[in-house]
Amino acid sequence: MTDVLGGVASGFQPEVYKAPALVASLQRRIASIAGGLGRSVKLMHICGTHEHEMGRYALRALLPKGVSVLAGPGCPVCVCDAEYVNLAIQLSLRRDTILTSFGDMLAVPGSIPLDGERRGDVRMSLLDARARGGDVRAVYSVFDAKRIAEQHRDKQVVFFSVGFETTVVAVAAMLRRGVPDNLTIIEANYYTPPATYLLPDLDGFDIEGFILPGHAVTITGLRVYEPLAARGIACAAGGFEPVDVLAAIAALLEQIADGSPRVANPYGRLVKYDGNARAKLELDEVFELAPIRWRGIAEIPASGYKLREPYRAASAARRFSGELDPVVLRGAEHPQGCRCAEVTLGQIRPDQCTAFGSRCTPDSPYGPCMVSHEGTCRAYHTYGMHRETLHVEAV
Amino acid sequence: MSKPSSDRLAARAPATSRYDTVRLSHGSGGKLTLELIEELFVATFSSAPLEELNDAAVLANPGGRIALATDSHTVKPTFFPGGDIGRLAVAGTVNDLAVMGATPAYMSVAFLLEEGYDMAELERVVRSMKHTADEAGVAIVAGDTKVLGRGHGDGIFINTTGVGFIPDEVNLGVGVVRPGDKVLVNGTLGDHGIAVMSRREGLDLSVELESDVAPLNGLIAAVRRAAPNVRFMRDLTRGGLAAVANEVVRRQAFGLRVFDARVPMNELVEQYSEMLGIDPMLAANEGKVMVIVAPDEAEAALTAMRAHQYGRRAAIIGDIVRRPEGVALVETAYGSRRVLEMPIEEQLPRIC
Repeated sequence: MTDVLGGVASGFQPEVYKAPALVASLQRRIASIAGGLGRSVKLMHICGTHEHEMGRYALRALLPKGVSVLAGPGCPVCVCDAEYVNLAIQLSLRRDTILTSFGDMLAVPGSIPLDGERRGDVRMSLLDARARGGDVRAVYSVFDAKRIAEQHRDKQVVFFSVGFETTVVAVAAMLRRGVPDNLTIIEANYYTPPATYLLPDLDGFDIEGFILPGHAVTITGLRVYEPLAARGIACAAGGFEPVDVLAAIAALLEQIADGSPRVANPYGRLVKYDGNARAKLELDEVFELAPIRWRGIAEIPASGYKLREPYRAASAARRFSGELDPVVLRGAEHPQGCRCAEVTLGQIRPDQCTAFGSRCTPDSPYGPCMVSHEGTCRAYHTYGMHRETLHVEAV
Repeated sequence: MSKPSSDRLAARAPATSRYDTVRLSHGSGGKLTLELIEELFVATFSSAPLEELNDAAVLANPGGRIALATDSHTVKPTFFPGGDIGRLAVAGTVNDLAVMGATPAYMSVAFLLEEGYDMAELERVVRSMKHTADEAGVAIVAGDTKVLGRGHGDGIFINTTGVGFIPDEVNLGVGVVRPGDKVLVNGTLGDHGIAVMSRREGLDLSVELESDVAPLNGLIAAVRRAAPNVRFMRDLTRGGLAAVANEVVRRQAFGLRVFDARVPMNELVEQYSEMLGIDPMLAANEGKVMVIVAPDEAEAALTAMRAHQYGRRAAIIGDIVRRPEGVALVETAYGSRRVLEMPIEEQLPRIC
């Protein structure tokens, strides 16, 4: 794609990557390659921010009919296992404890049934815990949590550390530099590549290309996705402006047309093949990869970040293990009829779930994918992507 | 008139109390209450009905239908870049009256103060209210003060109730909106919401954003003179453009289309809202109004807005369409379309 992006490939100039002329040129290029293929193609992105941007700029409407982009397991809020939500809730209701979390985690239902509600099968979220007296605070970063811990030395401060490769780097950096001993973290950070390795083994898997998550591969680099290319799946790093997303789609279609799947990098202005060496080093010093449960999906080996022994003192699960109720932690079964897991794996579209838009809405989410702005169901609902067309009849 | 600068306000006849902080007795109805009323509220607001210290203000009726609006205000922080809770409380109620086609005339003010609230800060708030009321041409004619025990309030709450008069011929409302009508706003969106949020979240920003808080009755009167067939007006407060656009189309046989590229946006607001993960179309404004006007008067309305100090960056941002019915939608710079959804929650910071 250097012909399209040539001359604008450096510096932070978001406006350039929103330019309608560039978008139109990429749109033509995509249509031309797709036309040459003469069949339909399914692609997948694995980043909640991609889903959000696809909705915000209605990018799917710019693609030819035969090219579809599905959302994969890319929303950290959605894949975070209910057990961690339950843990956060339980700790937030503990005396003299402040539970800090990114804002979009607050409304996610765990699996503890919410008693005394008239709405039927409703599970408790951190907002419910706050309404019941828990000290739950939204923060922008782990450094806010550290500041709160310094200001409240008489209290336990717990940071609900949710997120993928990108978010966990900040946590590692902070822990390496030392934290007040009243700060602990809930270890709910996920590492994406192992989950993507499993996708091709799913029944009926027919995805031909992956748009790689631009933020995450800035850290990890692209090498970790070579196993996918080796299995015949096209890969391309995708940034988050409309031009970046379309450039990644065009790069994938080129590979599919050529029959030469590999790991391409149309987001070269930020992403390096080997990633960010220093970030990887710090990450590796503080965390090790361990098996972790992806909500509603499975336990996936080596896909969760757990604190290494020298840093285990900062583990909330360890510090409070003696007082946690295992029954509450496990919670109830996954809500009946919620198909978030299939949505997360790209097996169904959100509107193919019967709860979508009826029992499950943004103001009363039933499953985790309807909560965060990066959740696939939420993005579909917010931007009306489930509507067939938005045909306008003007005067 | 321009926004009140604290220097200029401080220079005005200061009504200095004997006390540094608000005490419970200031709300008990006794001597201290009377002192506070006479020395601060009556002295600053200085209107004839207030000076009489009667149980009710008795007011002249210039005729027409009466418009009544009430709003209670709490904001953190109390003083924010571009304004404060006092200016907000007066402008908010003035704007609620003005968008109904009323000429705001009178206002009552009720304070709920927490014991220990800083007296100098209260004086600043009161002077800011007077300044804003003067700018809007509204007389503050009645008031009330209650003091809550320490820990039972959040510093200061203000309720304002406003009365305005609507000439008989005025006919505004969603019911008279027609496909083909044009949609205007008087300037950049999201300024207040993002300014307050960036201050509240303690973002370390090199350039300070300012709230747009302002009374809009002057601008609205100018628009209505220039465009007699204004169909509908609404101030874009909490929920921003998205909330109002959805209110307009709700259960109606038409849709509202916004052209993304035509929506005026402060460059800093755009940058900060990306950092905060918040859509400026959903963010609060305190000095912005959406006006729907007959197509042949859209240009005249736009010119009138731009001639006013609170409408320099006004724009025609969209239109009323026949289909889809009951939907507010955004047309992107690329010609693709998406739904502009009704905001449903408090705006919360996102993960990445």
